[in-house]
Amino acid sequence: MAAATHETQHPTSTGIDSRKVLMWIFLASECLFFGSLISTYLIFKGDSISGPTPAEILNIPVTSASTFVLLMSSLTMVLAVYGAQHGRLGMMKAMLLATIVLGLGFLGFQAYEFASFVHEGLGLTTNQFGTTFFVLTGFHGTHVFVGVLYLLSLLLAANRRTGLGRERALHVDIAGLYWHFVDIVWIVIFTIVYLIPNN
Amino acid sequence: MSNEAHVAASGPAHSGAHDEHPPTTIREYVMIGLVLTVVTAVELWASYNAHILGGTLVPVLLVLSAFKFAVVVAMFMHLRFEHGLLTRLFAFGLVLGAGIIITLSAIFWNDGTDVVGGGKTSVTEPAAAPAAPAPGTTPAR
Amino acid sequence: MATAIGAITHEKEGSGLWSWLTTVDHKRIGTVYAISGFLFFLLGGLEAVAVRTQLAVPNGTVLDAERYNQFFTMHALTMIFLAIMPMGAGFFNYFIPLQIGARDVAFPRLNALSLWVFLAGGFLLNSSFIIGGAPDGGWFGYAPLSGIQYAKTSGMTFYVVGLLTLGLSSLIASLNFAVTIINMRAPGMTMMRLPVFIWMTLVVVFLLILSLPVLTVGLLQLYFDRVWGTSFFSPSTGGDPILWQHLFWIFGHPEVYVLILPSMGIVSEVLPVMSRKPLFGYSAIVFAGAAIGFLGFGVWAHHMFTTGLGPVPQVVFSASTMAIGIPTGIKIFNWLGTMYGGSIRFVTATYFAVAFIALFTIGGISGVMHASPPVDTHHQDSYFVVAHLHYVLFGGAIMGIFAGIYYWFPKMTGRLLDETLGKISFWLIFIGMNLTFFPMHFLGLAGMPRRIYTYDADLGWDKWNMVATIGSYTIALGVLVFVINFLKTMRRPADAGNDPWGGATLEWSTSSPPPAHDFDVIPDVRDRDPLWYARDHNIAPAPVPEHLHIHMPPPSYYPLILGLGVLLLAIGAMSHLAVAALGVATAIFGVWGWALEPTD
Repeated sequence: MAAATHETQHPTSTGIDSRKVLMWIFLASECLFFGSLISTYLIFKGDSISGPTPAEILNIPVTSASTFVLLMSSLTMVLAVYGAQHGRLGMMKAMLLATIVLGLGFLGFQAYEFASFVHEGLGLTTNQFGTTFFVLTGFHGTHVFVGVLYLLSLLLAANRRTGLGRERALHVDIAGLYWHFVDIVWIVIFTIVYLIPNN
Repeated sequence: MSNEAHVAASGPAHSGAHDEHPPTTIREYVMIGLVLTVVTAVELWASYNAHILGGTLVPVLLVLSAFKFAVVVAMFMHLRFEHGLLTRLFAFGLVLGAGIIITLSAIFWNDGTDVVGGGKTSVTEPAAAPAAPAPGTTPAR
Repeated sequence: MATAIGAITHEKEGSGLWSWLTTVDHKRIGTVYAISGFLFFLLGGLEAVAVRTQLAVPNGTVLDAERYNQFFTMHALTMIFLAIMPMGAGFFNYFIPLQIGARDVAFPRLNALSLWVFLAGGFLLNSSFIIGGAPDGGWFGYAPLSGIQYAKTSGMTFYVVGLLTLGLSSLIASLNFAVTIINMRAPGMTMMRLPVFIWMTLVVVFLLILSLPVLTVGLLQLYFDRVWGTSFFSPSTGGDPILWQHLFWIFGHPEVYVLILPSMGIVSEVLPVMSRKPLFGYSAIVFAGAAIGFLGFGVWAHHMFTTGLGPVPQVVFSASTMAIGIPTGIKIFNWLGTMYGGSIRFVTATYFAVAFIALFTIGGISGVMHASPPVDTHHQDSYFVVAHLHYVLFGGAIMGIFAGIYYWFPKMTGRLLDETLGKISFWLIFIGMNLTFFPMHFLGLAGMPRRIYTYDADLGWDKWNMVATIGSYTIALGVLVFVINFLKTMRRPADAGNDPWGGATLEWSTSSPPPAHDFDVIPDVRDRDPLWYARDHNIAPAPVPEHLHIHMPPPSYYPLILGLGVLLLAIGAMSHLAVAALGVATAIFGVWGWALEPTD
């Protein structure tokens, strides 16, 4: 009898898919990861013994463009999830591809930014700003890169197997949670590193 | 790490009719994207016109980015349409992460023992510290 | 150990090496965790005995200063990350599904992955002994002693990479256990019906999930400092060694509760069963555990009172540290109330559980003393702190783990450990423990600093150091008796039966050892003590269906491949980029195969 009761009810205790719970708890953990990196950045703000200082070197227009690109990738991501959830395979694939391209675009901007900083004399070990800047934005960029691989695997899987089940929608949805999280981390970094004046 | 099997009891692993997707439409998603873009533009404008906002600049920027953060979490990550448990789980990390940022910043910015390298050339007092400096205890800064 | 592994048979699974390497069964993974954790416990114990031998007499010559530093550092790292945590993880793995009425954890392959990554981390950390010297900067690796200018050997690089690897393993396991407890409970197993051990586990895994990333960041920064020449922690170029202390202790203090809470959970299981009455004040003990978890994040700077925090942080962290004594005190009274008026069975498990309460209380009281900054300043870096932390971690965590071993051994193996040998072992460990660590209070107050490799004869420390060393040999003898007991018991027939103690929780309703699928019929839970409820209401166990259609996840070797990738990446981080790249490629291959592997 007990077994029979169990069969008819939802497979998880809370009714939420376990993978989704896993992703949200993981993102909570990631908050602490980036929280620690941001703390370090703020603690050392203004502690550089030598230049270049952030005010001298940060290129706000270029970074604004890359911020816009990442923001748009969140929009395409959410549309990919929409496509997956509403059985529109073509929309899902197109939007996944767009998200990947935009993510790569963001990484391209970051590579350009890093290269020009090094060119202008700011390396990883030049001063505290260089150290904390490259480590903070570098780990964020690594997260974006992992996200690109994650979405790429979904896109490849979508081409390997046809059909759009509930499972597929869930996979895209969970990947989307990760992607949006990386985006909101950038919202915070953009404000703290770039927008708040560095005198 | 997705695609993990559930070790549920015997029987079909499925559920009955359940709300499978957030009610947001494509049009609404695009609108949200537009709003986020506009808010970012406002932030940029504020950052470039720091003299107009003066001391309120930093709080304004923080509020605006918190707004964007909240909108993405609530709508794009559709947390507001989810089981309350997920909100609480995420809030643990968010509150603790923010708490660590605030506590460490407060401790270090009011640290009277922190004389860097025997006297730093010091670029500036951190602009992001809107709070008044601790009275009389910060000779180094 | 081969006897132990071979003895825990599973009819449906193979018993060859390959079946263990590809297993996703939480009981097998838990067994490997527990056994490897115990082996590391022996190793860490030997390191401690070597340290005590060196300190037995003034101007000892057993270990030179370098080796001494390596031994006390590795003793701490081994005991914390390779012994207590994995033995706890062994119990978590084995008993979470059994106690909540599930057939496995939520993500069986992730579970296997965390095991392999743990073994990789333990291997890395200990391999440093033969490759250039072990870590020697203390388990908390304070800057600048961990930096490249003062720690010139590769020891502290092993520390960084080893702890990053072990942290990854703990994070994976914790995420998995959290989801399992939230989402895999049997019908009727509401949160407030969960066994207290499960509740404490839930607190522990959330502590780890939320504190490990902070340690990860600190370790990555130390890695950058050591390998790529940044200066996060070196003040000469603008860095700040105090930052490391903050990041380390934001992790490190929750970690203390990670070590003690599993034992609190175990004792909360053992005492009601052995007292034959329900736990006194279930809600209070659950909320006290959760309160310890929350407050545990707000007390880290009490490790740093002597760094010049300033008056306001000192007051705040002093107050929060004193506050955490309240929920801890609540628990002590819960356990005493549970035993009060009970018909107590004094078996070895009870002995260890009762000793836990007494010894942990002593360690707790000396801990509250340190909440006061002036007192703390006096005790800082003295043997008084060594005494305190060993009363909590040995008198607390290890005593609780032994209680758990004696209590659950019949469930895991079908055999009851020998009671006579068990009590001999208990008394040796109990007396030895107090002989070793109580005199350290006196030594600390007499001014003996921690981490000195020798001392002169005229300082008045000779007598108590000798007593402490005799005590450490007594503990070693007690542990030896336990090992003999274990080996002897494993030769006996498995005749313990399903429920030798008259237990209250679900694991006692299935066979000993449990079948691969744990339960023939998923239980329907109606009470906090489901088995006692069924007994008192004359509810017969649900009939077993003639044909069991139970679907268990198939074995998988992808966790092993992914674990290998992590190991290669870690080795590459210490040696050559090419090895790291190979590791990343292996890991990506592992993830890809993992994602496409059918699990039905």
